[in-house]
Amino acid sequence: MLELEHEIKRLVIETLNLEDLKPDDIDPAAPLFVEGLGLDSIDALELGLALQKSYGVVLASDSKENRRHFASVRALADFVSTHRTKS
Amino acid sequence: MMRRRVDRLGRIALQATYQAHADAPEAPVLFASRYGDLGRSVELLTQLARSEPLSPTSFSLSVHNAIGALYSIARGDTASYGAIAAGEETVEAAFTEACGLLADGVPRVMVVLYDEPVPEPWRHFSPTVGFPHAWACLLAADSGANAIRLDCHAGPPDADAGEQDGLPADLRALRFLVSGARQWEHPVGARRWRWERHG
Repeated sequence: MLELEHEIKRLVIETLNLEDLKPDDIDPAAPLFVEGLGLDSIDALELGLALQKSYGVVLASDSKENRRHFASVRALADFVSTHRTKS
Repeated sequence: MMRRRVDRLGRIALQATYQAHADAPEAPVLFASRYGDLGRSVELLTQLARSEPLSPTSFSLSVHNAIGALYSIARGDTASYGAIAAGEETVEAAFTEACGLLADGVPRVMVVLYDEPVPEPWRHFSPTVGFPHAWACLLAADSGANAIRLDCHAGPPDADAGEQDGLPADLRALRFLVSGARQWEHPVGARRWRWERHG
């Protein structure tokens, strides 16, 4: 799971051009959006697309569920590990 | 965090704007670029051609006014902003628009010109933009000794062969502005733009 968290941090940094950040700078439990990392709604869409491409996870249009999955790197890793269709 | 959104063209355009704006009073801004951020369009069209989902970030930034809009958001500036593209006459269109704002009573207008070589699939359309560049200046109305006049006259068509130094038109205009030359004529089709310095 730690490995997946690290992988997702790298994906977040690469996908969103966070050029000043290294994976270790991201607290896996910290919020990704608004506070914490400070990402916005366009980042959420971009990240959703990258997760879909890399892991084959399908994001439902239910925004409440998505909000939970996208809460932090740790939440994303949980979601990916249980829903991934690509390895 | 805003910087992650802009690629090379946006970065050089915004750097020129920030530097020119630093010591200058607030002013409306005109962002002018002949080709704009075409790399984004190539990326989106390539994704479409491959039936891949489009990048939401690129989609949101693929419009011509995106770079100016990011500048306005980053500075929390609600002044008037414009985005201009007018082919070979982009620099003249930008200055004409600026003159319109000045004639309306705005005391100063910031004008930003920026372009980069177009991406490979369209390279043959753009022989003149050989390297990425951006510049910005602050314009005010003046009728005194420092005044610069811009006119457009009819001329014989296809007289464009005069100037073959390989520089894009906006950089030839910049050269006129900073060199102190008395005149620069820019023929485009049947039009001749004449930049003139008085005094």
